[in-house]
Amino acid sequence: MAAPMRRAWQGLLRAAVPAARSYHALPPRRKPGGVYRPDPDDPLTPVWQLQPAYEAKLYGRHGSASGVDPARLWPGPEKLQELEAEEREWFPGLREMEAALDKKEQEEERQRVEREKLIAANMAKMPQMIEDWRREKAARKEKEREDKARRAKLLAEAQERFGHKVDHRSAKFQELVQEMEKKQRKELKLKKKQLKEEAKKIAAAAADPEPVPVSAEAAEPA
Amino acid sequence: MAAASRGGGGGPKALELLRALPRVSLVNLRPNPGAKKSERRRGRGRHGGKKSGRGHKGQRQRGNRPRLGFEGGQTPFYLIIPKYGYNEGHSHRRQYHPLSLQKLQYLIDLGRVDPTQPIDLTQLTNARGVTIQPLKRDYGVQLVEKGADNFSAKVNIEVQMASELAIAAIEKNGGVITTGFYDPRSLEILCKPIPFFLRGQPIPKRMLPPEDLVRYYTDAKNRGYLANPSNIPEARLELAKKYGYVLPDISKDELFQMLSTRKDPRQIFFGLAPGWVVNMSEKKILKPTDERLLRYYSS
Repeated sequence: MAAPMRRAWQGLLRAAVPAARSYHALPPRRKPGGVYRPDPDDPLTPVWQLQPAYEAKLYGRHGSASGVDPARLWPGPEKLQELEAEEREWFPGLREMEAALDKKEQEEERQRVEREKLIAANMAKMPQMIEDWRREKAARKEKEREDKARRAKLLAEAQERFGHKVDHRSAKFQELVQEMEKKQRKELKLKKKQLKEEAKKIAAAAADPEPVPVSAEAAEPA
Repeated sequence: MAAASRGGGGGPKALELLRALPRVSLVNLRPNPGAKKSERRRGRGRHGGKKSGRGHKGQRQRGNRPRLGFEGGQTPFYLIIPKYGYNEGHSHRRQYHPLSLQKLQYLIDLGRVDPTQPIDLTQLTNARGVTIQPLKRDYGVQLVEKGADNFSAKVNIEVQMASELAIAAIEKNGGVITTGFYDPRSLEILCKPIPFFLRGQPIPKRMLPPEDLVRYYTDAKNRGYLANPSNIPEARLELAKKYGYVLPDISKDELFQMLSTRKDPRQIFFGLAPGWVVNMSEKKILKPTDERLLRYYSS
């Protein structure tokens, strides 16, 4: 019953007011007049509405109609002291920062200069070091060559002695080498003895018992 | 307790009540009214026997999905790529949005920015030329060179950083440029003045730049706001010589007053000193008179 009636009514309405819509906006909310002030005695009042920031906000929104004392917009003496202490602790002044920067830059400069000095000193030593290294290298090579030649000679001798090629690691060859070394040492000793005797003879012949030339001559072959 | 405080003035009565009531203990404590919301229970009543809004089968339905980044046993991408310090501290780096001279010219040509007034971030954000989000580590804008050849406006502009050519392009046209630092709090206030004024708070003083930016802002070459003002004409001349243009004499300009306007290093807005309260509804400015406050805000 109701639906056809409503449809009829709507049709009539559309015919009368062509722009009419079925949508209706919410009616404007009726706010209580004046400025809202939070009630500190009401336990349901949110805590943030009881703080000074909210008071300041009310003042910012409504001006003097909010009933807030404008003197309370600025920090009180204790808060101001806190702010000042905080600033002193955390925010250095421009001159201080510049001084710190100067110090840092000087330190960096000093380190750079020190490093450059060290590099220059080491670079000055470089040619001498290279020269030394070359000489050492040449000496090492020379020694290697000599060793090689000696070994080859020994091997050749061993071959001559045994009649066949010998491995330089074999016990036979090692024995031979030791034997030859012994022989060499003996020869050396003998030579020394002979030299000493000769020196003695010369000294006796000269009848001049000066120890210095004798020792010098004796030291030379050793 | 609430009853006692609401009663107000019922001292002996409240005390009596307090004595009669049981002690506060775990037995009679309960959450504040409205603090708890009952959890929605899925699949109950006539909704039972179906999927309870979790879709069809699998890890989705059973809620046993593997951890984020897991690739089914294969070495995941986040472990394959070696880490190296290229992006170290990226979340703390200061960001400066680029503002090209081309864009500035465009804003001026369309009348979105008024070149007969000093231009700072307030004008630029109000003209929707730039969007600054101080909470996302934005520290302002940098003026970049794009469009330097076509720039022809005479402006007094304050930006946070500027390239040399951009400075030259501004000064060639008889303009003035200053680079200034704003700490995030001041920047927020500078970019959104009206919400700040509605907060009813005194305008704070601008903080000095951090130590690593001190050299930039004390250098006259960058037209820093902390540079010695007597060094700036010299630097202007030097730049003119470098880029080969004749520096217009702004002291004979009809807009000299506007062009020579500069902010104090501690000042956030042109014409408003730190410590003042601006009331929008009454169109009033309140200034502190207390000596200690004056000393704090002027230091």
